[in-house]
Amino acid sequence: MLNDVTFGQYYPVKSFAHRSDPRIKLLALIAYIVALFLAKNFYGLALCFLVLCTAIIASRVPLGRVLRSVKAVLILLVFTAVLNLFFHGGSHLLVHWGIIKIYLEGVIFTVFFVFRLFFLVMGSALLTLTTTPVELTDGIESLLKPLKYIKFPVHELALIMSIALRFIPTLIDETNRIISAQKARGADFESGNIFKRIKAIVPILIPLLISAFRRAEELGDAMDARCYSGSKNRTKYKKLRFGWRDLICFLVFAALITGVVMFNIYAADIFPLIYEYIRIN
Amino acid sequence: MPEPTSENVIQFENVKFSYAGAEGVFAVNGVNLEVRRGEFLSVIGHNGSGKSTLARLVNGLLEADSGKITVLGMGVSEGKNSLEIRRHVGIVFQNPDNQMVASIVEDDVAFGPENIGVEREEIGRRIEWALKAVGMEQYREATPTRLSGGQKQRIAIAGVLAIKPEILILDESTAMLDPKGRREVMEVVSRLNKDEGMTVILITHFMEEALLADRCVVMNRGEIVLTGTPEEIFENGEKLEAYNLSLPRISEIINDLTLGGMNLSNVLRPEELAKEIAQNFKDKGIENAESPADKIADSASQHLWDVSVKNLTFTYSKKSPFATKALKGINLRIDDGEFFGIIGHTGSGKSTLVQHLNALIKLPQAQKRYRAKKPKKGKPVPELPQITVGEFDLANKKTDFKALRASVGMVFQYPEYQLFAETVFADVAFGLKNFKKDLSKEEIEKAVRDSIEVVGLNYNEVKDKSPFDLSGGQKRRAAIAGVIVTRPSVLILDEPAAGLDPLGKKEIMELLHKLHREWCNTVIIVSHDMDEVAENCTKAAVISNGEVVACDRPCNLFKDSESLFALGLDIPLTSKICEELKKYGITINCDCTPKDFAAKVLKAYGGGNA
Repeated sequence: MLNDVTFGQYYPVKSFAHRSDPRIKLLALIAYIVALFLAKNFYGLALCFLVLCTAIIASRVPLGRVLRSVKAVLILLVFTAVLNLFFHGGSHLLVHWGIIKIYLEGVIFTVFFVFRLFFLVMGSALLTLTTTPVELTDGIESLLKPLKYIKFPVHELALIMSIALRFIPTLIDETNRIISAQKARGADFESGNIFKRIKAIVPILIPLLISAFRRAEELGDAMDARCYSGSKNRTKYKKLRFGWRDLICFLVFAALITGVVMFNIYAADIFPLIYEYIRIN
Repeated sequence: MPEPTSENVIQFENVKFSYAGAEGVFAVNGVNLEVRRGEFLSVIGHNGSGKSTLARLVNGLLEADSGKITVLGMGVSEGKNSLEIRRHVGIVFQNPDNQMVASIVEDDVAFGPENIGVEREEIGRRIEWALKAVGMEQYREATPTRLSGGQKQRIAIAGVLAIKPEILILDESTAMLDPKGRREVMEVVSRLNKDEGMTVILITHFMEEALLADRCVVMNRGEIVLTGTPEEIFENGEKLEAYNLSLPRISEIINDLTLGGMNLSNVLRPEELAKEIAQNFKDKGIENAESPADKIADSASQHLWDVSVKNLTFTYSKKSPFATKALKGINLRIDDGEFFGIIGHTGSGKSTLVQHLNALIKLPQAQKRYRAKKPKKGKPVPELPQITVGEFDLANKKTDFKALRASVGMVFQYPEYQLFAETVFADVAFGLKNFKKDLSKEEIEKAVRDSIEVVGLNYNEVKDKSPFDLSGGQKRRAAIAGVIVTRPSVLILDEPAAGLDPLGKKEIMELLHKLHREWCNTVIIVSHDMDEVAENCTKAAVISNGEVVACDRPCNLFKDSESLFALGLDIPLTSKICEELKKYGITINCDCTPKDFAAKVLKAYGGGNA
């Protein structure tokens, strides 16, 4: 019923992208997203696409696996695309059918929009496909470190995240076991109206909560016994280190943003070119 | 054994402790105890005897009401030393899952040293050393959740070792492990004690583990009632029973044989006992002896509720990089009326197998979306799995699976964790109401009353109580009542005795025999305890790596000990002694229970005399 999410969607192979520093990957993703939203024309978008393709090749994750991540947002994508298509105003009317008016600008904008969202989802998916949640947590902790000086509990937050990650598979196992046990006692979670279904969850939820509290208490004891006393005087074993991969990564994404900005400034907007073409014909 | 003059590392002086909310009831009541440096001390006692409380008092997780605790010269009761004491006293708890903070082994082992501010390079060295000490060095980058119970617990020990404590306390750390995991952990602990000179306190209710220690302490109702070497402790059979403990099986056998006129000392290892038995035979001038094998009468069953499994395969997380084959073509037949055992260690697929029997995992053909695949050219058509239980065909979509589940009861591991309702009555009635919608109030009340009473609880006393207010053993009984309330014909139990103390185990097995006689045609237990299966089951199947490697009556099953060892499985104690005795030319054919073994040995012994 519930699948293994320990690794999120981590795809276990060794590659350039897998070995890069999670902090750089996080920053790279942010840079990539910024670039996508900065891009005002198809040249910028094409540059993003180029970087995305390179990243996919460098990650050695099968294309199908990356595309599968788009499936989750497909409905949203289609829905917003259709809205855009119908309600985007413009001056070149293509279709007029009852109250529906489709303009050329609408078509172009929709195509642009769909590609942008498409690339965005694929890029984000690539991060989770090549980085384990643990690495991500380490990366986030490291990036947030400066906040320590304004008394933001970075260490505690990171510990909470890492413990949560650690217990997800355990609690999923537990949930599966409880579901099976109650099913064996004739519980039915799959039929009946919404109220019946909500009521049917009670025999799962209560044992699960009780078990979570029991585990929390035992974990607390075990942490105490292992000398945990907050972040004071604490050292950290794992240190993230920048390598040559990260330098390349950094350069590529710096180039990406610069490229997009340059296109925005210097390249002629592609839209007028298309209008021109249509007018001539 | 350490010198009696050696220094005491732990000292308890008249220590009393009661839990909040239960003031006046002392969980630890006037304990005086000294632990010497380098000593291996075992603490035994029934559930709730105060032995775990003792461990928590040592490192200040709990604070004593009165009395004095000194650890390495520091007073614990003063409170302020607790962090310093915890650096020197490591505790490994019962559930390995609930002790780990990180999702990667080395991060978890690093947690302790990080807390006490050890330098980075030194932490790396400590991780290496600690993992090596527990034999897990090749799992440094592994994910703990994917390891076996024994491996996880060894990681937990490594996590404690990395702090470099002088004293290691194991608080029932083997209770949730299978025999293989238990052996792994005990080997590590013995080695740490012998080679590293670490002081070890082992809290356990496995009598067999307590034997490994230099000194043994018995606790009963918060008090220390016996102290001595394991040999001395286990001489006191009647006393131990009064403290709700059982004798180790080997001591039981020795008692029976001594009563039968043999001259034996209190040895604790099967090979030693075999040697002594052989000596007795020799002294009497018996050279070769053989006890006749019993003829096994086939039980006349009606075959109404036969269980048949054919060609069952099952893969977890199919089509993902983590796909694991749990079952690889299981063929099994369980006759109506058996008390059947399914043995195998954790991850062998035994739990997956039994979940198929009441369609908690449905066969592919019985799933809604199933469509028969067209056979590919040139390839043989794969044979589909088939399961029948009585009249139910589990491969058929149209089977009434609800009726099946009412007839095939399933008690999961630690069933008390599935209790949820406000009262015991409501919890037990839950299953009944689900399965049979048109019962009158009186019928429900009668069925619930019957099933609460058959599991040995007092109906009027518990029916309005919250199930969470019951004691551990009572909770498990209430949970079993909640399954048998529909009067299933086949009852399946996954590790029914897991986590209970010896007496609790005995009582649960007695309950299952009672249910087998009075309520359910067939009882199937899943277990990793060879002795438990040998002593209780009429027939058993051994599952290893998703395959049935043997299926027979226990007396035949354990004859081929070598192949079982090869699979990493254990054999019952009596079989071990039988194996050893063969070396001396003595063949004993018994049904693997200690009673029968002793009787057969005496028969051969007396028979030689006549």
